[in-house]
Amino acid sequence: MSSILPLIKNETIKMMKKKRFYVVLLVLVVLVPIFVYAQMKIAQNNREKFNSDWRLAVRQAITDNQNSLQSARVPEEWKKYRIIYIQQMKYYLEHDVNPQEPGGVGFTREFMDNAATLFIPLLIMAVASDIVSSERSTGTIKMLLTRPVRRWKVLLSKLITLLMFVSLIVVAAFIVSYLISGLVFGYKGFNIPVFTGFQLHGSDVDLSGVHAVPQWVYILMQCGLIWFVSIVVAMLAFMVSVLVRSTAASIVIMMAALIAGTILTNMASAWTSAKYLFMVNLDLTNYLAGTPAPIEGMTLGFSLTVLAVWAIASLIISFTVFTKQDILN
Amino acid sequence: MKSSSALWRTIAGLSTAATLLLLVGFVYALKDVMAPGSGALWNPVPSGDLSKAAPKTSSKQINVATLGDSLAKGTGDDTGQGFVRRTIAELQKNQKLPVNLVNNLGVNGMTTKGLLPTLDEPGVQYVLRNANVILLSIGGNDLFQGAQNVSSGKPLPTYKELSAEVDKASIRLKRIVDAIHQINPAAQLVYVGLYNPFNDLREMRVPGNQAVTEWNLKASEIVNAYENARVVSTFDLFVGNTQKYLSDDHFHPNGDGYQHIAERIAQGIE
Repeated sequence: MSSILPLIKNETIKMMKKKRFYVVLLVLVVLVPIFVYAQMKIAQNNREKFNSDWRLAVRQAITDNQNSLQSARVPEEWKKYRIIYIQQMKYYLEHDVNPQEPGGVGFTREFMDNAATLFIPLLIMAVASDIVSSERSTGTIKMLLTRPVRRWKVLLSKLITLLMFVSLIVVAAFIVSYLISGLVFGYKGFNIPVFTGFQLHGSDVDLSGVHAVPQWVYILMQCGLIWFVSIVVAMLAFMVSVLVRSTAASIVIMMAALIAGTILTNMASAWTSAKYLFMVNLDLTNYLAGTPAPIEGMTLGFSLTVLAVWAIASLIISFTVFTKQDILN
Repeated sequence: MKSSSALWRTIAGLSTAATLLLLVGFVYALKDVMAPGSGALWNPVPSGDLSKAAPKTSSKQINVATLGDSLAKGTGDDTGQGFVRRTIAELQKNQKLPVNLVNNLGVNGMTTKGLLPTLDEPGVQYVLRNANVILLSIGGNDLFQGAQNVSSGKPLPTYKELSAEVDKASIRLKRIVDAIHQINPAAQLVYVGLYNPFNDLREMRVPGNQAVTEWNLKASEIVNAYENARVVSTFDLFVGNTQKYLSDDHFHPNGDGYQHIAERIAQGIE
């Protein structure tokens, strides 16, 4: 262990010198205001329509969804989402809790929820994709490997550094979103109750397990799940970075996989074995919010297992390849 | 070298803290999703009860809420306004007070059977408490659900069947009107009477007219039991005018049809 700490330190300093982390922060600082502005417009619109009474707005949303259930043109799978949505909204109404209480904290919860599958993994890739491949494209890998350190230790130090930055990125996304949205919506809302524990059986919602948690606890749990997803994505990107020499190629490969996941999820597919692909399992926060999983039979336990298997497999591949391969050129 | 050591220590410290925090969140999330019932992790957060919430709309304006079926929703009107928005536009012309639509809870295909339980929902009750004018359109689907699939080759309902349906559905209509009155006794209730959408089908003209008349009579009896409630007749509007006032589906009114209904509704609102 004593010999790996200096390596991690070295990698961390390299990471900071490459300014990747600053790029991630910059992307957040540029994009979050755009989302905040869009959200502000929606809030304004609702205020005009319903005299700022959220209860009337929620009740109208229930009726609108009921009407779309009657339409023969709406596909069955979408109807399931709507039925569940209606039941959840009714539950919020009955308990007189605003499901979308305006505020910086509420915005951040929504933002993190939407960012979990594509945006945050993208930020992770910004630091993960070239962590190994860049050493090879610049040739510095020879310097690294000629030192009297075992190869697996070199790779492990890179992996640990990567995981450190994964945690930092998830937390940074929360902090940036909270600070910026708070300017517009206010910094309050940590103690607003949020309901969780909706259990889904087909399109039936089992309300027996529903309970309220303060919003800060909800966000903590949400970020925990996003963190797990991010680690899996980081490990996969890490493997690609070991296998592929070009940084551009490794970014493209990971991007393609993630986007394929989004498309597959939206197809809410009849192809049930797609649930064994890692990219349709990234939306872990669904299970917290009680949104139905894209494919029948997916549960939190299932998704975690699938993700873990993919992550472990990619680690095994990374380490075997890296310790065995010849470094040419 | 010194600065990079400081940088390393900062990063290491921050990321360790972040990792621990996220790990705690992850474990709690697992616990919460996997075993939601066991949940006394946190003291239950106090949450309110909507059935006690006071209305927020101003009493110095006309607040309209709508309940019922596709007519309330405005199906068939190409402009999407239906009689609800058209009534509001009419009222705005004639009344000094500002007019405000609280909610339109019209749902396509709604029947008396479907509407009755929704009146127990606190959310619906809250909407009604916020209104001082309540528009109700219901019953058409109870009577004519069978006749709507004329094209599917099913036999058309006879007068006897329609009449039996009138008897059953009017009992539920009474319970609906009673419930609305109980929720908000001060509001004016306007019930939109039925018309016979099958005037242009020869076999359905007379039995349909008879059944609808029967229904409207029953509805008047029920509604007129309350001082501030009334029935707006639409039956006569559509007799012989089905071509003019019905939309392409031969069931719902078109924009002009809704406009006439709206004018009649607006005339009676003080």
